[in-house]
Amino acid sequence: MSIIALGMEGGGDGFTAPDASIFWEPLIGEGATAITRPVFLMVIAGALVAWFLLATTKRRALVPSKGQMMTEGAYGLVRNSIAKDIIGSHEFLRFVPLLFTMFLLILVNNFFGVIPPFNYPTMSRIGFPVALALVIWVVFHVVGMKKHGFVGYWKSLVPSGLPGGMVPAIFILELITDLFTRPVTLGLRLFGNMFAGHILMALFISGGWYMLQAGGILPVAGAVTWAFAIVMTLFEMLVEFLQAYVFTLLSALYIAGAVADSH
Amino acid sequence: MTGNIAILGYGLSAIGPGIGVGLIFAAYINGVARQPEARGMLQPIAFLGMAITEALAIFGIALAFVFKV
Amino acid sequence: MHMLTIPASGGEGEGGFWATAAPIIPHPIEFLFSLVVFAGLFWVVAKKVVPRLEQIYAERTAAIEGGMARAEQAQAEAKAALDSYNAQLQDARGEANRIREDARAQGAQIVAEMRTQAQAEASRIVEAAQRQIEAERQSAVTSLRGEVGRLSTDLASRIVGESLQDEVRQKGIVERFLAELESGDIKPERVGGDV
Repeated sequence: MSIIALGMEGGGDGFTAPDASIFWEPLIGEGATAITRPVFLMVIAGALVAWFLLATTKRRALVPSKGQMMTEGAYGLVRNSIAKDIIGSHEFLRFVPLLFTMFLLILVNNFFGVIPPFNYPTMSRIGFPVALALVIWVVFHVVGMKKHGFVGYWKSLVPSGLPGGMVPAIFILELITDLFTRPVTLGLRLFGNMFAGHILMALFISGGWYMLQAGGILPVAGAVTWAFAIVMTLFEMLVEFLQAYVFTLLSALYIAGAVADSH
Repeated sequence: MTGNIAILGYGLSAIGPGIGVGLIFAAYINGVARQPEARGMLQPIAFLGMAITEALAIFGIALAFVFKV
Repeated sequence: MHMLTIPASGGEGEGGFWATAAPIIPHPIEFLFSLVVFAGLFWVVAKKVVPRLEQIYAERTAAIEGGMARAEQAQAEAKAALDSYNAQLQDARGEANRIREDARAQGAQIVAEMRTQAQAEASRIVEAAQRQIEAERQSAVTSLRGEVGRLSTDLASRIVGESLQDEVRQKGIVERFLAELESGDIKPERVGGDV
């Protein structure tokens, strides 16, 4: 039942490591139709991002305020160093809203993992990253088919100039990559990083708490564990940013591959 | 000690991609260090390679959950 | 730290299937809300935020380009002003030089004029003085000659006792005497030596 259960079964009050069930927090309802805490976090994140973006771009000052500078910094990162560099300067502009939304939504939801009142990385519930990956998957297939035509798109999967015998094998390989590997890994990468990071932090903090309460010299180890938990938190912040960046970057790459003249 | 052997499988599946991702970024850093102006061209390739290589490790963690107990 | 308040061990009976389900099974509501929130945020970003940001970008580019154009214009103006100032300075310097040259030439001319004038004056004065001296000497010689003649005749008549009143003789003797005197034949003698 427990996945990472390293429970030290020593009597009634032994330490049981946190497992995947700590992520299940239904607030309203039960089972499959329950509205869970991460759902609220997702809605809060969306509202927060929308409010912040609208508030900081309302004045449109040439000399930006602090908030506008943050918005413009994030926008410049997504627009210039992700979209423009990867998709190419004549087609990137129509994908900027998509990539910008993705980046900010994932970034804020990830940071909820280390911001105290929330303490829950929304993307550690697989429903969220998979939905976002699905959006990207649909988008890059649709724009590819619009550009090359339905048949032309599938033809463009195989690089030109291959010897005839290799074409079917490469085609199947590319088909699997395009239809299956890319969306699945895109979603699972984000999920796996957030899930593992969060469960690791939960382990450090709950294990440290358990040792602090125990007798003997264990509280010393508990304090060290908590110190490590702080280090882990900082590392988590880095990973959270990096995963949002990588998700956006790979989305841009897949879109760029679909709209490129030769696949 | 109780646990799941699948998590060992995940550990094994992470070895190859770990080495692979390391090699990709080593080559990327090498290339950028030798030719800083090629950064823009190398970056998408490096990240695409990383995404493909990392896929195996990600399948590993997914399958570790699928084949639990 | 909410994670500490949640019981660490997964309670199978409490949450049912979802509490213990593999974490890679997407929860339908979460999946749905992810799409809904994404769609809402995408709508806001695409309709409002990105156009605004693009407008800021365009405006800023225009402002920077306009600023650069203005700076270039100002630079050109400054250069023109500097050029005209330099030209004026050159003019003024030339003018000053010219004036100085003129003044020097004029000065030299004045000095030369004055000098010639002074020389002329001086030579005129000298000439006049010489002429006067000559005239005076002439008159002195004439009067002296008359006087000497009269004195000599007076003395001679007194010594000789003979009247030399005769005009012709008197004149002849004096003239002869003076000619002898001038030619050096006669040595001046003490008049009273023989007496």
